[in-house]
Amino acid sequence: MSPQMLPVTEKMAWVAQDNLQPVPFRVVRRRRETNDTWTLFLAPPEGFPYAFLPGQFNMLYVYGVGEVPISISGNPLLPIPVAHTIRRVGAVTHALTSLKVGDIIGVRGPFGRPWPVELAEEKDVVIVAGGIGLAPLRPAIYHLLEHRERFGNVVLLYGARTPSDLLYKRELEQWRGRFDMEVLVTVDRGDERWYGHVGVVTTLFTQAERMFDPEKTVAFICGPEVMIRFTVREFLVRGVQEGDIFVSMERNMKCGQGLCGHCQFGPFFVCKDGPVFSFADVEPLFGLREV
Amino acid sequence: MSKVDILELLREHPFTHALNEEWLQKLASAGSIRVFQAGEFLLREGRVVEAFYLIVSGYASVELYMPERGVLRLQTLGPGDVAGWSWTTPPYKSTFDVRAVDEVTTVALNSERLREIMKEDCALGARILLRLLSVVAQRLNATRLQLVDMYASGGER
Repeated sequence: MSPQMLPVTEKMAWVAQDNLQPVPFRVVRRRRETNDTWTLFLAPPEGFPYAFLPGQFNMLYVYGVGEVPISISGNPLLPIPVAHTIRRVGAVTHALTSLKVGDIIGVRGPFGRPWPVELAEEKDVVIVAGGIGLAPLRPAIYHLLEHRERFGNVVLLYGARTPSDLLYKRELEQWRGRFDMEVLVTVDRGDERWYGHVGVVTTLFTQAERMFDPEKTVAFICGPEVMIRFTVREFLVRGVQEGDIFVSMERNMKCGQGLCGHCQFGPFFVCKDGPVFSFADVEPLFGLREV
Repeated sequence: MSKVDILELLREHPFTHALNEEWLQKLASAGSIRVFQAGEFLLREGRVVEAFYLIVSGYASVELYMPERGVLRLQTLGPGDVAGWSWTTPPYKSTFDVRAVDEVTTVALNSERLREIMKEDCALGARILLRLLSVVAQRLNATRLQLVDMYASGGER
């Protein structure tokens, strides 16, 4: 059986045999999403098997500049080329977003625990994304829509700073056009041309609360930590259980295997035990400034 | 729409939901249905707030006009929200514009009459102020989150 024919889990095990050494991937496409964010599409070497699960990340290494953890933002059913949506915030991401088609970078991964999409089966799924936090959630959305019959209501709440900071506008429009998915979008600051919702993402719950049954809802949240804290409160106050709320945490990930300790988060290593956690597991750590 | 319809809307609206029937009757006596077309103003900055609007359907935006920057949309109000709390305190003038984004249907409670009712029935007055306080607290929290600009870049770690 060729590696590409293997089931996803076996393929991942195959890939994970040596994930300390970067594999050279080639940039095959780049797309500008906003004024500071690009999506890079990377192709592995010929015959290299690659698969990932929604919510996992890769370590991207720009030779001579540095390595950063970046979530995989593409469709897990069509894993190649591998999509990463990258916001330009520092030296490495500046180098990544400046790459041209044909350039080569080192890739290690995939790493981390994925969104537990199988736990959400037969339940309503509410996805809350803030800013670039939509990128790690997009593979989960692809999965939910690909297996739509397995889930109850699917609701996406997405907030960004301004209308021009919204990611994946074309897909947001497509998803909003579906009859089997609710999509609510808001921005913190509107302008004269914006006729959509204005307010932080938590203000969407007034509209969204009639779209899901708290007793049979699974929530996936990704965004700035302060947004996660306030969003979790909105779910809890409506009766969603802590164990049904999953959050993606961001820490200083380096090795990707829980060896170096850079991403320690209380008793966890975010790169290995996360980045996706059940809120029930990390609740005691939220709000601790020393963590 | 008749007073019966207004009563029904008051029973269902989150702001007046579960008030006792006597209180709802009193509020309905100050109420009327007002519909705003897209672009029409529910409230204008600096003008006396003649009604306290309970939004039944449609969306409105809280706006501020700034010379050279134009209209800034600060917040969206939708079904279940209320527009304007300046009717509670002198000089009873709105501090922002509130404009209909699409067709907005409201129960408009006459501000002056509402203040009279609250003076006559202090228990009802206290209940309304408590609910208003809850709305103000939610909006204050949302505004604080907007102020911290939580999507600002923290840089690479």
